[in-house]
Amino acid sequence: MKIIVPVKTNPDLQMIRIKNREPILEAVPYKVGDLDKNSVEAALQLQAAVGDTQVVALTIAEGNRKIKDTMKEVLAMGADEAYILSDDALTAADQAGKALALAKAIEKIGGADLIVFAEGSTDNYSGQMGPRVAELLALPEIGYAKKLTVADGKLTAERGMGDLIEVLESSLPAVVTVTSEINEPRIPTLMNIMKAGKKPTTEWTLGDVGLDAAAVAPQKAVLSNLAEEQQRKNVMIEGSAEEQCAALIDALIKDGVLEA
Amino acid sequence: MEKVDCIVVGGGLAGLSAAYGLASEGLEVILIERGDYAGAKNVTGGRLYVSPIRDMYPELWEAAPFERPVTREFITLLNSGNATTIEFASDKFAAQPYQSYTVLRATLDLWLSEQVMEKGGMVITNQRVDELLMEDGKVIGIRAGEDEIGADMTIVAEGVLGLVSTKAGLRQKPSWKDHAVGFKETIELPQEVIESRWHLSPGQGAAHLFMGEVTKGMLGGGFLYTNKSSISFGIVLGMKDAKERADKIDVYTLLDDFKAHPHVAPLVAGGELLEYSAHVISEAGYAGIPQLYGDGYLLAGDTAGLALNQLYTVRGMDFAVASGYYAAKATLEAKQQGDLSAAGPMYEKMMRDTWVIKDLETAQHIPHFIENPRIFTHYPQSVGRIFERLFTLTSDPTEGIYHKVMGSVKQDFVNAKTVKELMGVRKI
Amino acid sequence: MADILVYSDLLTNAKELAYAGKGFAAALGMGISAAALGPNADADAAELGAYGADRVFVGKDPALEGLQTDVVAEALAQIAKEAGAEYVIIGSTRRGKELAGRLAQKLGAAAVTDAGSVVVEGSDLVASHFSYGGATVAKEKVNTPIKVFAVMPKTFEVGDVVAGAGTVVTPSLSLTPSAVKLVETKPKEGAAVNLDAADRLVCIGRGLAKKEDLPMVESLCAALGAEMGCTKSLCDWEWLSENRLVGLSGTKAKPTLYLSCGISGQVQHTVGIGTSKIIVAINKDDKAPIFAFADYGLVGDIYAVVPALTEALKKK
Ligand SMILES: Cc1cc2nc3c(=O)[nH]c(=O)nc-3n(C[C@H](O)[C@H](O)[C@H](O)COP(=O)(O)OP(=O)(O)OC[C@H]3O[C@@H](n4cnc5c(N)ncnc54)[C@H](O)[C@@H]3O)c2cc1C
Ligand SMILES: Cc1cc2nc3c(=O)[nH]c(=O)nc-3n(C[C@H](O)[C@H](O)[C@H](O)COP(=O)(O)OP(=O)(O)OC[C@H]3O[C@@H](n4cnc5c(N)ncnc54)[C@H](O)[C@@H]3O)c2cc1C
Ligand SMILES: Nc1ncnc2c1ncn2[C@@H]1O[C@H](COP(=O)(O)O)[C@@H](O)[C@H]1O
Repeated sequence: MKIIVPVKTNPDLQMIRIKNREPILEAVPYKVGDLDKNSVEAALQLQAAVGDTQVVALTIAEGNRKIKDTMKEVLAMGADEAYILSDDALTAADQAGKALALAKAIEKIGGADLIVFAEGSTDNYSGQMGPRVAELLALPEIGYAKKLTVADGKLTAERGMGDLIEVLESSLPAVVTVTSEINEPRIPTLMNIMKAGKKPTTEWTLGDVGLDAAAVAPQKAVLSNLAEEQQRKNVMIEGSAEEQCAALIDALIKDGVLEA
Repeated sequence: MEKVDCIVVGGGLAGLSAAYGLASEGLEVILIERGDYAGAKNVTGGRLYVSPIRDMYPELWEAAPFERPVTREFITLLNSGNATTIEFASDKFAAQPYQSYTVLRATLDLWLSEQVMEKGGMVITNQRVDELLMEDGKVIGIRAGEDEIGADMTIVAEGVLGLVSTKAGLRQKPSWKDHAVGFKETIELPQEVIESRWHLSPGQGAAHLFMGEVTKGMLGGGFLYTNKSSISFGIVLGMKDAKERADKIDVYTLLDDFKAHPHVAPLVAGGELLEYSAHVISEAGYAGIPQLYGDGYLLAGDTAGLALNQLYTVRGMDFAVASGYYAAKATLEAKQQGDLSAAGPMYEKMMRDTWVIKDLETAQHIPHFIENPRIFTHYPQSVGRIFERLFTLTSDPTEGIYHKVMGSVKQDFVNAKTVKELMGVRKI
Repeated sequence: MADILVYSDLLTNAKELAYAGKGFAAALGMGISAAALGPNADADAAELGAYGADRVFVGKDPALEGLQTDVVAEALAQIAKEAGAEYVIIGSTRRGKELAGRLAQKLGAAAVTDAGSVVVEGSDLVASHFSYGGATVAKEKVNTPIKVFAVMPKTFEVGDVVAGAGTVVTPSLSLTPSAVKLVETKPKEGAAVNLDAADRLVCIGRGLAKKEDLPMVESLCAALGAEMGCTKSLCDWEWLSENRLVGLSGTKAKPTLYLSCGISGQVQHTVGIGTSKIIVAINKDDKAPIFAFADYGLVGDIYAVVPALTEALKKK
């Protein structure tokens, strides 16, 4: 079986500072998205369960100039091979353009039995890519899986929907998106990091997958992207636990959110 | 067990310099760093003296992402009622080649690790070396988690605490008494503000040291270095004083009081706190240098005790780079001779024959000298008094300048204790 | 005349969209349609009409049973074309968000998902959503001929209804059954909760050392008359159901009182509490970022403060 995991590397969110409401991205390092590690882990666990399976990571660089280094982490986790699609045009592209590029790349890789996305990217969390790629490749798709099994050429997934858990089934090939509940991603060991450097990594441009800049041109305009302003009282209540609680209750009563 | 030519433990300046030298000559080297990236956890005050290391890896220092060359020096004696600042600017400092630069380790170390990788070295981050593998007293590799990797040579540059090398018995457990702690805030300020506050031409930088009130009489002082668009601001404090002092001032308070001091507050005003960090510094000096090598290993940087508190400046980064450089050089030469066991003695000789160990030797009396608390109280106050009298004019008939100054000098300096202490200065 | 088409798998949410959509349509000089799909479509259609839809497209094709994303996307794409929709606004519920991507792809549309606001600017609708994990809010305009927005439930409020309004339209749908089969549904452990409606909310984070300590927090909730919410890890560890998750991937709560216990205040959580009237935070670390979001901050161990607060509230 072949599993392709589209992986996004995003700016390290902990390192983004806000100044005058603007995010400062200069010098912020990129890392593999937290949720994308869940999808890599899900693929690796299926590989272990099913056997004779190849796990291929696929990424669009999105402005990450050190993408090869960043992707080593995925290879060190255990992916067998990585494909990197880099093109300035893709940095500006929106979900439609990137989904198209991913779909073309997946075709060029030779398709897959299963394509595992995360439910959303760690920074943007739009959740569009999985369903879009499924539509482009005319494949069935199951979103928000928190449990995955593959047996007899069929995929079974569990997902939480409101107060219910749904168990869904699909033929292969298929697309799934997974939530963070599905697993605890492994931390690569030293030995696997050393081996990762020797695993095959293929770099493509848009032209290599048969597209040009016009095909992925953005169709949305970002009018602004600013931090929201919060106006809070920021009163610190001190004293022993009892004193703190008494003072808090008084304050809440004064604010009218607690009955006297 | 997988085996490589060389393993470097620790991605600080010492480890990176060693790995760079080894990788440049095509040795298979892996450097293991426990932080998210090289430099992530590393703390320094902020000034790297480049002149001693300029000829080692000259190509690096031309391209390195330094913050600002230091062209102006400030020393402030801080008292509760006054402050005396000496500002020194020399045309020599303000011209190429600059002798020292302010640096931010997160930037510099990360960049250096990229240079190592460019040379073919492997920098592995997010992995902690748990122990050195020993066989008949010889270091044969490392263990990190479940993984063991062998190496012909292991260079240990794990910083001041040296847990791994201490555990392996390669050095003695350092005594906390011989250490200081540094607390540092990185505070953002606009470039123009920095340049106007410290009287700098565009792009040039200042080093500003503080003594006196800063540490409330304890061994130590304050520092402030100007980066491109931030300042590194902090306190270095002797651990012995900090621990033994009765009123147990906590360091947050110390740093906050320092920042709020009326003669310091205007310097940091309007700045936004970017980062807070703390780190230990070795103050043992020459006496604290362990055996630098043994079978299969070399010690470098802070792990080898190579740091110097000269009161007006802490040096450690230049030592770290030089020791890494010589560790690589000795390893390469020994390998060429076909006898790696020659690397250790060669390394030690290189270090002893050059400024590295010599500078530490010259400065060996400083640790004792600065243990005297009067340096941090009496002397700054005395200087303050002289200037206070000099600049005071009242409705009383004024004294002559000579009397103004000498009155204070006699009172504060011409006494047996002070004279004895001043004689002691000759040793440092 | 171009149209705005609204749809949600949750009727309450669909009503919000119909009501708000009517306002947008008026401002933009468009018509407003709604889609009601699946076995309940007829009943839903009447309500959607009352809440503002001029036309309600009712789809009861058997393929729609179970409302699988691929079939719903196909149905909506056909309805959007029939209605002449320029905007398709759907609810950003789990199903809706999944739907948005597939539908947009079918319509050759760009889409904004998880929108937290939609406003009229000039002759366009402009939507905002969280970016950089919630650190910022990006405001976006869509430039494709058909535009898809998935809007979070409770973004819009509803007003007066006019019973009997709205024409029912039966679109000509051509659908094939879903490629995905629903094998079974199982109830989730724990009682159903609706944090959306909670007036007071106590949220618990990783400061709670073990699952067995949950009763301590439950007592506080009881004394305060509050619902219990949590951060993501507690759901991931299955200590609490994901219905209790507050934040980017959970509920965006709007209580009058929100009280956090042992929560650091990372942005993916705090984006879910920003509209609370009063925010209280208990954390043992005085540098925890949550305090910057709080009206009242208590530095302390939850194992001391929470029982003390419960007692104090009981005595009150
Ligand atoms: C507050 C302060 C101010 C200073 N001011 C100056 C100054 O102005 N000028 C100057 O020249 N020097 C100054 N110094 C001293 C200087 O910073 C140090 O001497 C220098 O950083 C030493 O470099 P190093 O590479 O030996 O160690 P470090 O920079 O400490 O690097 C050690 C590295 O090893 C890693 N490591 C440790 N253990 C392990 C392990 N088990 N496995 C993997 N990795 C590990 C650490 O994460 C770290 O990256 C100052 C120090 C402090 C604390
Ligand atoms: C794409 C994405 C979506 C996400 N969506 C959500 C979401 O919707 N909701 C959400 O909550 N998270 C979400 N997260 C996770 C989020 O990033 C944080 O990891 C999470 O909110 C942190 O939870 P926490 O505050 O409970 O834990 P921590 O960050 O670990 O904080 C625990 C806090 O408890 C304090 N503490 C510990 N012990 C005690 C004690 N005894 N007394 C008092 N205080 C104590 C500590 O000081 C600390 O501040 C998301 C993450 C991603 C990547
Ligand atoms: N640049 C990218 N390269 C590869 N995969 C991506 C990229 N962006 C998004 N994805 C995939 O699509 C998922 C959802 O992303 P999003 O639609 O942006 O929320 C991610 O978790 C990835 O699996």
